[in-house]
Amino acid sequence: MSEALVFHDQVIAILPKLRVQALALTRNRAAAEDLVQDAVCNALSAQDSFIPGTNFAAWMHRILRNRFISNLRKRRDTTDIDDVPSSVFATDAAHEDRLALKELGHAMTRLPADQREALVMVVVHGMSYEALAQATGCAVGTAKSRVFRARRQLESWLLGERSERQAPRPQIRAERLLDEPSPLHS
Amino acid sequence: MKHVPMTQRKDKPVPVRPPRERKADEAFDLWLHRGLHKLFDDVADEPIPPELLKIIEEDREK
Repeated sequence: MSEALVFHDQVIAILPKLRVQALALTRNRAAAEDLVQDAVCNALSAQDSFIPGTNFAAWMHRILRNRFISNLRKRRDTTDIDDVPSSVFATDAAHEDRLALKELGHAMTRLPADQREALVMVVVHGMSYEALAQATGCAVGTAKSRVFRARRQLESWLLGERSERQAPRPQIRAERLLDEPSPLHS
Repeated sequence: MKHVPMTQRKDKPVPVRPPRERKADEAFDLWLHRGLHKLFDDVADEPIPPELLKIIEEDREK
């Protein structure tokens, strides 16, 4: 099997996870689809820079993340990332805990994008903190901290207890993500 | 995928907390794990848009 075949098959195989990461970042399904497509196009253009045998998933997740940051940079003068409608997570869960699920969806939209992304990649993808750090281009300690703070904030919002641990409502702006290194696409 | 509560992950510093709080943490972790899967699994399972597949396959043929 040629390297090119392996590369394109890897791109196709990771699409579901990219879609989840994109939704975690954008909070909007249409925007997430656009982000995945943009990231795939970037990856195809940059495929020569991928070293076979290295961590393809981390490489691909970083490209998507950097594309998201790049898109934010383009529109940061007019849009705060918290302005995106929160209704995206109000999916039709036909369960008795539907209300709680809606609350969780709403609370997720209030988290800073980097914490939301970290939590989803660890919980939904089952990523280790080390893999998360590689995929998001940060230190392992930072990755752990993002997941921990996201979890603690959700618990505080949703359970409304242990108020001494409660942090103020996040007012994350694009600049916060833009401060992070963007090794592949600046 | 087997659920490993965040409070029980090997690489997390051991928290010094009362048993009742630890139990509450584990229950919340389990609920959060299930909730996030309900919110995001459908997205992951959606079919790949044909136009995206076309882009990838056209690049493969280059």
